[in-house]
Amino acid sequence: MDATIIAQIVVSGALIGLIYALVAYGFQLTYATSKSINFGQGELVMVAALFSLSLLNWGLPYWLMIPLGMLFGVVLGLFVERAAVRLALEQNSEGWILMTIILGLFFFSSAENIWGRDDHPFPSPFVSDSIALFGIDITRQEIALAVGVFAIMGLIEVLMRKTLLGKAFTAVSADRDAAQLMGISARRTIMLSYGLSGAVCAFAGMLVAPITTVGPTMASALILKAFSVAVVAGLDSGFGIVLIGMLLGAVENLASFYIGSGWREVPGLVLLILALALRPAGIFGKTVIRKV
Amino acid sequence: MSKRWLLTHGTELALFSALASLPLFISNTYALGLLTLLAIYGVCLIGLDVTVGYLGQVNLAQSALLGIGAYAASLSVTHLGFGFFAALACGFGVGLIFGVILALPALRLDGPQFALATLSFTAIATTTLNEMEWLTQGAQGLHVTRPDLWIGEFTAAGFYWVCLLLLALVWLAMRNMLQSQWGRAFEALRDSPIATDAMGVGTYRHKVAGFAVGSALGGLAGGLYAFNFQYLQPHSFGFELMIILLLGVVLGGRKNLWGAFVGAALIVLLPNLLSNPILFRSFAVIGLSIALFAGWQKQRRQQLFTFQTQAPIMAMLLLAGGALFIDNTEDWRKAIFALMLFAVVVGLPEGLMGFATRRLSQIFRLDTSTLPAAWPVAEVLVLQTSALDDLLEIQQLKHYFGGVRAVDDVSLRVVPGQIHGLIGPNGSGKSTLVNLITGLYSPTSGTIHFQGQPLPVGSLYKVSHTGIARTFQNLQLFTELSALENVMVALRDQYRIPLPLLLLGMGKQQETNARAKALTLLALVGIDAQAQQLAKDLPYGAQRLLEIARALARQPRLLILDEPAAGLAHPDVIRLVEIIRRIQQRGITIILIEHHMDVVSELCDIVTVLDGGKIIATGTPDEIKRDPDVVKAYLGEPC
Repeated sequence: MDATIIAQIVVSGALIGLIYALVAYGFQLTYATSKSINFGQGELVMVAALFSLSLLNWGLPYWLMIPLGMLFGVVLGLFVERAAVRLALEQNSEGWILMTIILGLFFFSSAENIWGRDDHPFPSPFVSDSIALFGIDITRQEIALAVGVFAIMGLIEVLMRKTLLGKAFTAVSADRDAAQLMGISARRTIMLSYGLSGAVCAFAGMLVAPITTVGPTMASALILKAFSVAVVAGLDSGFGIVLIGMLLGAVENLASFYIGSGWREVPGLVLLILALALRPAGIFGKTVIRKV
Repeated sequence: MSKRWLLTHGTELALFSALASLPLFISNTYALGLLTLLAIYGVCLIGLDVTVGYLGQVNLAQSALLGIGAYAASLSVTHLGFGFFAALACGFGVGLIFGVILALPALRLDGPQFALATLSFTAIATTTLNEMEWLTQGAQGLHVTRPDLWIGEFTAAGFYWVCLLLLALVWLAMRNMLQSQWGRAFEALRDSPIATDAMGVGTYRHKVAGFAVGSALGGLAGGLYAFNFQYLQPHSFGFELMIILLLGVVLGGRKNLWGAFVGAALIVLLPNLLSNPILFRSFAVIGLSIALFAGWQKQRRQQLFTFQTQAPIMAMLLLAGGALFIDNTEDWRKAIFALMLFAVVVGLPEGLMGFATRRLSQIFRLDTSTLPAAWPVAEVLVLQTSALDDLLEIQQLKHYFGGVRAVDDVSLRVVPGQIHGLIGPNGSGKSTLVNLITGLYSPTSGTIHFQGQPLPVGSLYKVSHTGIARTFQNLQLFTELSALENVMVALRDQYRIPLPLLLLGMGKQQETNARAKALTLLALVGIDAQAQQLAKDLPYGAQRLLEIARALARQPRLLILDEPAAGLAHPDVIRLVEIIRRIQQRGITIILIEHHMDVVSELCDIVTVLDGGKIIATGTPDEIKRDPDVVKAYLGEPC
């Protein structure tokens, strides 16, 4: 087997893997504040991407579509927080898992009926020729994807570390009750995390859609991989997800090439189950001491 | 026979005889097909209810297990020449095996991680069924031949009766299991895994068993499913079926056999409901009225119109509105499932049958089942004597959390029959020491000997079987079980009848004895009047006492009480002292961690004082009170 072909497969897989990492980053944001994640995150990415596509089709320019699409993501994230997560946490139960699955299902069905079941191409602002680097072809859209992923994750991290809002966020993650006693509204912080998570997911959708096309089926494919990345790395692992995301993307691209495209999803899922069985806190996560 | 027994068994008998006689009056093959499906989904949902209801986990693997069972049964017929029942057994067995394989890693997990593990299992299973074309024919589907019975060819009614018979058997067996110690253990480990282990009921073992039984029923239902449709496709066992199954369990009502049945009926009728606009519209209107009624009731009770009350109504309004304006309901079916599930989970968390059973038992006044008479205390807590000098011997025990020396070189002897006090300021390492003895933590170094034998390290479950029982400073009760059941879970050497005989209903006498014993212990701590109340509804003082009664059910040689008087009012503290005295009179050795010095002075024969993870003094309560180091640890240096 030609080494450049393998390298090509690995690199383009790893670049797509960055998107899994970005969606997984969305999980981390909400997990930090509320110890909950949105099981319908894939549907959120998909609906936001389809909405952005409609914006483009209505004649909006690309640079305006991006913030509007992300704003839509924020709205969806807040909706999930109010209608699923907060409702369940008010009942003081694990019901949020079921509730977010339910909302995801609703989003999915709505998307199927509004935008149809087929996949749509998503225009890219860049010309489609590719740049050769050491014999590996990389398209401009792929470069934009990598830049975009690192830019938004970096931006949010800076916000977390430099602003008072970010401090509140960290405080709620560390100890929700103590933060509330110090006058920080846990409710608003959780809302903020879901809003941010929604924006991140919408952005992920816009970055990946020009490469993969967009349609309702994109949701389930994405969500399982993002889960794998988040759990294998650890739900509180910070940037560990970037590494795991790229690794997973590369592995599944290799599996798809060597075993068959139908098996594409399996390595990630096996990794996920293994990680859950062997190290539930994740490779980069922290293990919690049980206290009674 | 009690009224409760007559009503529950009578309705079950009526249901099954009505279902069994239906084919005599109905010759319509379509209706018969629906009834058959009802029985099949009933089996599947009873299995799913074990994990979703009793273990309280979101299980997303049941649809895949149904599929695996279906394929296993069909392939065993075509490739191995199995007969009808052998093939069903094959489906059951394969479901069981996959259940165990999945359970071993997945069940160390809780909540979202468990849901994720089962979700990925479903994805892997459907992919594998789809890609292994040489065996399963992949996406083009597998045709199944239904083997005939030895008495002749299957008629539609005959197959229905077989399915119904299996449902009835599963129903009876599962009722016997879930009303025995197994069902209680499932609920106990959902509420507090740590206490379940500490009470000698293996959390892991029960979780795996519960999941495996549920999965096996999924596999069995899969076999029936295959022989019913006689055609299988991998993608029909994916995400959508999973949602439908969850909808069935949740809407029908969790922890309820009738709930599984009603859920199955709903699943069977859904496609018909959705394809007929008039039916669907009336269904939506009924749903809306239920939501409005439930909301109105709630609002009347709480005097508050919260979002929680509004949300189900909004969902049903959306459904009813959609039903009026949308003709292609089939295309919207996932959204319809979503809205229904949403409304039920938020507005009627106990499900239709949960609601109905509660209402009916109010109407027929079935809320109190009769209790057997309590036994003499001497029969439940046998008087213990010990010839040993030391019951417990701790040598140079250390436990570090990173750089924090929580327990630093502690050596300690506990004399049989004594009450050994363990005091010290907050953070002095008392609870860590107890957690080390009872096996929640593994020591960094040092040894612990109990009755001359080294204690098992790092396993609450194993330590509890050596004869050590404990209570918890932060209450770890099984909140959704009654006080009586909390104690019954922990009873030692009580449940000897093996599971197969239990399934056949042979556990009645054992169950009555368990209730009597548990009641005795509740009486010992003085809360027998509240035996049938849920633990979470008990007042705080009674909850503390219930912890003690539950630990006594272990018939311990050594009882560790971790701050039993914390937060108690003065009269309750006096009662507690009296109770601890009575426990000591049964020959039980006690380690008492306490901050109330009056309690310690009154009860303890000897007191060990910890500070900063080290022992700073040992002696009688009077000696301790005069010890300058102890005074310094509590009050600081004199100025």
